[in-house]
Amino acid sequence: MARNSHEKRAERQWLLILLPSLVLLLAFVIYPAIYSVYLSFTNEALTGAAALRPRFVGFRNYTRLFNDAKFWNALFVTFVFVIGSAVIGQFVLGLISAMALRRPIRFRRLFSSIILLPNAAPEVVAGFMWISMLAGGENATLSRIVSFFGVTPADWLQVFPLSMIIIVNTWRGIATAMILLTAGLSTIPAEIYEAARMDGATPSQMFRRITLPLMMPTILLYMLISAVSTIAVFGLVYALTRGGPGGATEVVSIYIYNQSFTAFQLGYGAAVAVVALVISLILGIAYVRAMKVEV
Amino acid sequence: MKKTVLGGLCAILLSAVSTLAQAEIIRIANHGQAGIDAMKSTVERIEKKYGVTVEVVEYPAPDKDYLTKLLTELGAGNAPDLFSIPTTAAVADMVEAGYLAPVTKEFKAWDGYANLYDVAKALAISPDGETYVMPFMLGIQEIYYRKDVLEKAGISTEQPKTWRELLDRAAEIKQKTGAYGLLFPAGVSWGSGAFDEGFQHLLVGSKTPQLVDADGKLDLNGEGIKDVFGVYKELIDKDLMPTQPLLGPEPWVVPKYQMFPEGKLAATTCGSWCYIFDWGRESKNPIPEVTKVVGTWTVPGQNSGQYVLANLAAPWAVNAKSANTELAIKALMEIGSIETQVSYAARIGNIPASKDAAKNADFQKLTELVPIHAAAENGVFLKQASGFGTVAEGVARATEALLRKETDAAGAQKILADYVKETLGDDMVK
Repeated sequence: MARNSHEKRAERQWLLILLPSLVLLLAFVIYPAIYSVYLSFTNEALTGAAALRPRFVGFRNYTRLFNDAKFWNALFVTFVFVIGSAVIGQFVLGLISAMALRRPIRFRRLFSSIILLPNAAPEVVAGFMWISMLAGGENATLSRIVSFFGVTPADWLQVFPLSMIIIVNTWRGIATAMILLTAGLSTIPAEIYEAARMDGATPSQMFRRITLPLMMPTILLYMLISAVSTIAVFGLVYALTRGGPGGATEVVSIYIYNQSFTAFQLGYGAAVAVVALVISLILGIAYVRAMKVEV
Repeated sequence: MKKTVLGGLCAILLSAVSTLAQAEIIRIANHGQAGIDAMKSTVERIEKKYGVTVEVVEYPAPDKDYLTKLLTELGAGNAPDLFSIPTTAAVADMVEAGYLAPVTKEFKAWDGYANLYDVAKALAISPDGETYVMPFMLGIQEIYYRKDVLEKAGISTEQPKTWRELLDRAAEIKQKTGAYGLLFPAGVSWGSGAFDEGFQHLLVGSKTPQLVDADGKLDLNGEGIKDVFGVYKELIDKDLMPTQPLLGPEPWVVPKYQMFPEGKLAATTCGSWCYIFDWGRESKNPIPEVTKVVGTWTVPGQNSGQYVLANLAAPWAVNAKSANTELAIKALMEIGSIETQVSYAARIGNIPASKDAAKNADFQKLTELVPIHAAAENGVFLKQASGFGTVAEGVARATEALLRKETDAAGAQKILADYVKETLGDDMVK
């Protein structure tokens, strides 16, 4: 009996400890999520008659969405952005940096500091910083640099908009990739490489047969984290291109913003957000199951 | 002892009274540093006259971001008491959303009412017949051209009389000088400017010069709309108008602040503010002797007529959910003083809506604006209606498709109509 009362008291104490977090979770995560789903079934708007008298419209927003070429364009752009930036750019360069930093190279600390610097800049700041590099035609810093080598200057954000935001986001994300992959590399015992070396394995063989297989759990986990964070990128793209020109860089997060706060259609914007969330969840779960990643 | 206690009590009482007297705060949203500077003496006057504290909140530029922030706050119920609205196209929608307090009675009783230009009074009336916005400043828009560039190349600087003449002049400029011949703001990034500073200039002189029918429905199938997009199409296809800069995040920077001062763009739509803010003394890249080297043309009609567009330049309104609407309306009237109007004119280049400004010594010093002020009465405008904000966004999308050469004039009109129907529902559009 005494034990039961002790357990109950302990439970109550745990509940008290958890309560603030639960309240915050409810207020800032669960309630907004439920409210977004509710909004997606209304014609709620920030202006016009619908702002004063929003009404329930059933699945109208969803049927509109599936016929909306701009939504499908946003999904496609997001897919290319994630593959180009997170999967190819950040991962490849992050892995190269991580492997380079394992070796006793000169200026190692300086090198790692330089790679870490972009991560210190907030998304929007990084975006505005890169505008001076890329925008303004022949006045852009990049144009001046390439002119020196005989390349024709261009307004890079207009000519290669998606490629440019992929490059800038890759630049920002290398540090995270490098840190995570360095941690993964450090778990591989040095003796394995030593033994392989004694057996006459080349660096390429060691990479393919030791490093990659043993790093696979870290790589898969990194890919998942990186893809999720890249899907959520907003400030960088907004600062650089605002989704333009002509929707060329309109990733889903920008599309949701444009529908909600440029066209002021909160209901429709919420429907886009709900569908984007469902698609991300399905892909995420499928990825985790296919790769058998333990998260 | 008694005296000390009594003294202390008096001090507490005085402090409480003065706190109560200063307790009321009016929050005013203003757009950028120039607007805040223009309001400085007005703010002091409001504080002194009504014993309130005025808190000026700087809202973001460009206009699109300003409107987003304002509407979000209005929707959430925590917007400032008093604010300017960056585009006339948004007013009717804001009225319909119930955001703006009606001020018809106070406006007509205001001592400055009689001296306002008729066009300002007409622009202030909403589709429901009430007044919700104060038309203190006007934006008078025309085509501004580089007189020096044209004269040097032997090109006529005479007023073009039709769209054809205007397009031919632009082609001649390109051929003889290599400079772009004419710019109409276009594309999504320019925000409401694609409509306010571009599209409506031509529409008022087209075969179907209004967008709203007698029932208040939006008529987007008019022949004039297609013809207007046709003008854009020709300018773009013949490379008479710069397109690449318009697709960037700040599309006005390169053509307005670099190409025009350098003479690489010879003509563009602009408002009275251009002589002050864009290329004049407040500019970061001024054109020397701007009024001599930059001339103005009215916008010709499709086949005849001359059009000078009059807009309300960021009209002021009171938040319908303000904690103290009455006080906010009183403060609103102070913004209409000649002193404030002239202060705005000097810093931003808009035109005072009051005829009395002509008698003001400070205004007379603004020699660039004096003749425009005198001609303000002749301005024309589009009748406003609910849904205009969406039409403006639709025009931006349609012109962006033209800039990207993805469609023709008929296709652009379809993009506009489809966007408005999708957003507002079929029943809003004729």
